[in-house]
Amino acid sequence: MKHDAAIHVPSVGAADFPFGLGKSGLHELAEASYGDSPAMTGFLLAAMRKQAKGAWIWIRQASIFRDIGEVPEAALAGGSASLRLNVQARNAREALWATEEAILSGAASLVIAEIEGADFTATRRLTLASSRHGVPVVLMLPYTCEGATAAVTRWRVGPRPSSSNRFDKHAPGHPRWRAVLERCRTTPASTGKAFDLEWNDETLSLSVVAGLADGPAAPRPALRPLHHKIG
Amino acid sequence: MDRLRRARRSARSTTRSVKPTPFVLYEKSAHGLVVIAANAPARAARIETGLRLTDAKATLPNILSEEIDRAADMKALTALAGWLVRFSPLVAFDGEDGLVLETTGCDHLFGGEVAMAAQLSRHLAQVSYTHRIAIAGTLGAAHALARGTSTAEYPTLPSGEERCGLANLPMATLRLSPEALTLLRRFGLTRIGQLYDIDRKALTRRFHSREAANAVCLRLDQALGRRVEPFVPFRPPPEHAERLPCPEPLTSLEGISDGLKQLTEKLCASLSAAGLGAQNFTFRAFHSDGGVSAVSANAARPARAPEHVLRLFREKIARIDPGFGIDLLLLEAARTGPMEAGSRPLSGDFAGGEFDVEALTVLADRITARLGEGTVTLVTPEDSHLPHKAERQVDYIGQSPGTSPRPRTGPRPVRMLAQPERVSVMAQVPDGPPLQFIWRRHLRRVVRADGPERIAPEWWTYLPPAPGERGNPPRTRDYYRIEDSEGRRYWVFRDGLYGDDRGTAPEWIVQGLFE
Repeated sequence: MKHDAAIHVPSVGAADFPFGLGKSGLHELAEASYGDSPAMTGFLLAAMRKQAKGAWIWIRQASIFRDIGEVPEAALAGGSASLRLNVQARNAREALWATEEAILSGAASLVIAEIEGADFTATRRLTLASSRHGVPVVLMLPYTCEGATAAVTRWRVGPRPSSSNRFDKHAPGHPRWRAVLERCRTTPASTGKAFDLEWNDETLSLSVVAGLADGPAAPRPALRPLHHKIG
Repeated sequence: MDRLRRARRSARSTTRSVKPTPFVLYEKSAHGLVVIAANAPARAARIETGLRLTDAKATLPNILSEEIDRAADMKALTALAGWLVRFSPLVAFDGEDGLVLETTGCDHLFGGEVAMAAQLSRHLAQVSYTHRIAIAGTLGAAHALARGTSTAEYPTLPSGEERCGLANLPMATLRLSPEALTLLRRFGLTRIGQLYDIDRKALTRRFHSREAANAVCLRLDQALGRRVEPFVPFRPPPEHAERLPCPEPLTSLEGISDGLKQLTEKLCASLSAAGLGAQNFTFRAFHSDGGVSAVSANAARPARAPEHVLRLFREKIARIDPGFGIDLLLLEAARTGPMEAGSRPLSGDFAGGEFDVEALTVLADRITARLGEGTVTLVTPEDSHLPHKAERQVDYIGQSPGTSPRPRTGPRPVRMLAQPERVSVMAQVPDGPPLQFIWRRHLRRVVRADGPERIAPEWWTYLPPAPGERGNPPRTRDYYRIEDSEGRRYWVFRDGLYGDDRGTAPEWIVQGLFE
């Protein structure tokens, strides 16, 4: 999946990088294409790394669970979730209900819902509940999600070839993702920017890298057609 | 004074026909089709239990017959037992066609034993069950009295008078096996009273085994109250219960909700007086036309806050169909346990831990009440190095998550597939990851790979096949972390080694996906 958006390299003081993801309000993450869910999950967990500790409620719809599986506890180890409750919902309606219930309960420090779709009304409801109770909510949506949303941001996340491995050039290195900020209510100027991110699981840092640090250059059309014959 | 009353009814709902048509139920037996039950017109033609169906048809050519459905009868009897709980909390089955009520302490609510029997009889007649009610001090005496007498309306036998009261009743009412009954009839013993004066040793010698003779003596002693017979209720009685009789039958959901609210407040008050909380609440609504609707709610930890219990019932109460009216509401609490009542912190900032267990269990209860059991889970680590056995989902009941007993031995993916999926490998090298493979109908070209991480099988859990049977021991797995040309990263393993003599050629399987 290629995005034609310009690579945005934020300045050192770009403190607003995740644009409030997981800190307050409702945010949406969407797959760039089918099967990008692991990249999306990795991006979320990396962005949530420095949050205050607390209980996470992870709501998942059964169809998504069957398709892409669960997030094992080992992937959360050392993160900010001191306890994670899994909630299995049969359909999107039940999942949205459970999400709202989790926000209202006052027990969760973060609510994550994997849902196959949420319309504007549903996201508006969740936004209001989230702002009233001060609980951040993240919706993880499939690549089919489109259209209006009441969420603060919508990210579209897909994988990129990983960085080169210092110790073994045949092995994958640190994972990289491309996160495109599709919508952003707080800073509309940033809408449409694409971030190429690298997650370092040794230093536990999420950094923005140049798009061409590794991997092939994107093909581009020749500037002018070659008219003259060679030889 | 311990008193028992017993209600007997013919459990066959199909014999309820009002039309005086001869009708029998039959069952297949070793002697062909045998009549099990007959209605009054058939009995008038001397068609009794035990007669063959062909003989019955010869007697009455126009007789109707149907095969007995014992499972449905048992279900109807269970439903009736559940409904009779309104008369006494202790109800037990008596064979396949009878019910026993322990009425100690309940009869005065209805104005005495006979008045209670009359009310019971009226209710049963309303739902058109033919029945016989007898009141006696022991289970055996009540059983015999209900089946053996036909004169009095509600035959009553005060405790201590069983000996003379039962003397004239037929032997068949003593709950004996058919073989024992046949033998006793051959001796000429047809009335219970004839057994009183017979020497037990002499009686024992007549039977082919000591057990058969002892069974007869046991039943006689139980009926006479010389030996104690345990009372086994058909459902364990609740530890705490509250009931609310309605003077006027309720027909609306609002009325039921109001009743539930009153009951919950009363029950929670009595629970908190006892310092207890309950994990299971059952709400029963008794229909005035017979039958009970019940809904139950479970709590992850003992609870007794009325608003919480009401909240759990809110989603479910709509399942109660008022029907023709509900005249009694009952709320039962089971699985009670001591409550850990603590003072709540003034605000979240003062909370001791990183999360609020109480609020989490309340949330888990609410979600479980609506989405069903087993939907709220916590992942607990297991002591296994096999990735699919290293974690287990358990229902959340307020426990804290455990820490993994094993250190991580290698990279673990961010997503574990619900079911590991087999891939077809297009190009493989003997000792290394595949170069190309098809997973979910897409060809994926491997660019980079890392591994293997070899995980040996748990040979200590393997049970070798019995001699003559075939079975392969579990296989070693080689896990690889691979990345394809699109940047997607997979966790694949080869199930087995080449040439390990454990089945066919090894297969490649995707178990997880890396971020």
